[in-house]
Amino acid sequence: MADAPTHDHVLDAKGLLCPMPIVKLAKFMKTVEPAQVVLLEATDPGAVPDVAAWSKNTRNPVIHQDQIDKVMRFWIQKA
Amino acid sequence: MSSIVYVHTGGVNNPERSATPIYLATTAAAMDIEVGIYFTVNGPTLLKKGVAETLIVPKYDGNGAPLRRFIDQALDMGVKFYVCQPSLDLHGLTKDDLIDGVEMIGGAAFNDMALEADQVICF
Repeated sequence: MADAPTHDHVLDAKGLLCPMPIVKLAKFMKTVEPAQVVLLEATDPGAVPDVAAWSKNTRNPVIHQDQIDKVMRFWIQKA
Repeated sequence: MSSIVYVHTGGVNNPERSATPIYLATTAAAMDIEVGIYFTVNGPTLLKKGVAETLIVPKYDGNGAPLRRFIDQALDMGVKFYVCQPSLDLHGLTKDDLIDGVEMIGGAAFNDMALEADQVICF
């Protein structure tokens, strides 16, 4: 796997359940400058398909993702 | 921008059916989808002032949350709430009985909204 990209912000959504990780992400992304990278950490079992669907619709790309134990991590670049 | 209209017919007598359309709509708003919820049949009973604060959305372990929390999240994310007059009459409600942030529309306006939306999802 490629090395994780650098990030500008960390957003902790661990322990939150649907729909809160996406709601928290959407609100936070509005405060981020274009091209900045947010590292989202989530434990919601639906996070992988949910973040992909959110990314597709908002056109903020997920440039990298991995999972460490139960924590799913997403590097999301602001469009 | 894509758009979805949710139609919410569940009321206070079915707490387990009360929240799902609301948090799906909240999620849609978070995805930059233009989204409204049309409360009809029993749906308007959820919007009566004071009701959602005490209506607990049940959870298997007894630790449910009040519906008001989901309503506030939705409104905060920009979800539009709509009701129609006949469904208020059904329950003896008027617009003044409802929480703030609810817009009154008629059947024609709803049908037009449905035709204009990319998807209409009914509960």
